[in-house]
Amino acid sequence: MNVESRKKALHYFFGKIVDPMGYKFTPDQELVDFLLEQEVILEQKHGIPFCPCQGLRHDRSRDMKIVCPCIPFHRKHFDIMKRCWCGLYVHKDVTDPDSLPQLPYSEADHE
Amino acid sequence: MYTLSTCPWCRKTKNFFAGHNIPFDYIDYDLADASTQDRIIEELDAHGATGFPYVKIDNEIVYGYNPSRYAELLGL
Repeated sequence: MNVESRKKALHYFFGKIVDPMGYKFTPDQELVDFLLEQEVILEQKHGIPFCPCQGLRHDRSRDMKIVCPCIPFHRKHFDIMKRCWCGLYVHKDVTDPDSLPQLPYSEADHE
Repeated sequence: MYTLSTCPWCRKTKNFFAGHNIPFDYIDYDLADASTQDRIIEELDAHGATGFPYVKIDNEIVYGYNPSRYAELLGL
C-alpha cells in the first residue's frame, strides 16, 4: 500500500477513534498531512504508527502509550492543552490551533 | 537540543534558532545509536520530559516548542 493511500486509511480510521473522545483533526491541514506521512513512515519502519513527536524507548509497555492516537494514555495532559502532543488532534471546539502551545505536563498541571 | 527527525515542532525549533542566527547543537534521537538514545532518555526522565523538542539554553531546560521562552532566555 503506498504512502498516500495508507495516509487516507489512517485518517479515516483515526477520525473514528478520536471523535468519541471529543477530539478532531487539527484544522491545520498541512500539519495533518505531514504528521500522517511521518506516521506511515514510522509504521513502515516499526510496524506501528507511533507518535512522531515522542521517542521510542524500546520498552514495549511505554512505547504502547505513544501509538497514535495516544490520547487515552495522556488524557489529563492533552485535555489541559486542548491538543495532543504532536498537534494532530485538537478539542472539537478549537478553531485556532496555533494558539495552543506544547505545555510540559508539569507546567500544564498548574495552568 | 534533542529532537526527532519526524517531529514538525522539532523542525520549527531548529528553524527558530537558525532564523535568529543562533548556533546550536542537536541530536535527532530517533537517528542516534542505542547508547546515545539511552543517555538522552535518562536525561529526559530526570526532568519529567516525555516528548520532544527538548532544548537546553545555558542551564535552563525548555521542553516542548516554546519560541517566546527561547526569546526570553536568549534575550531577543
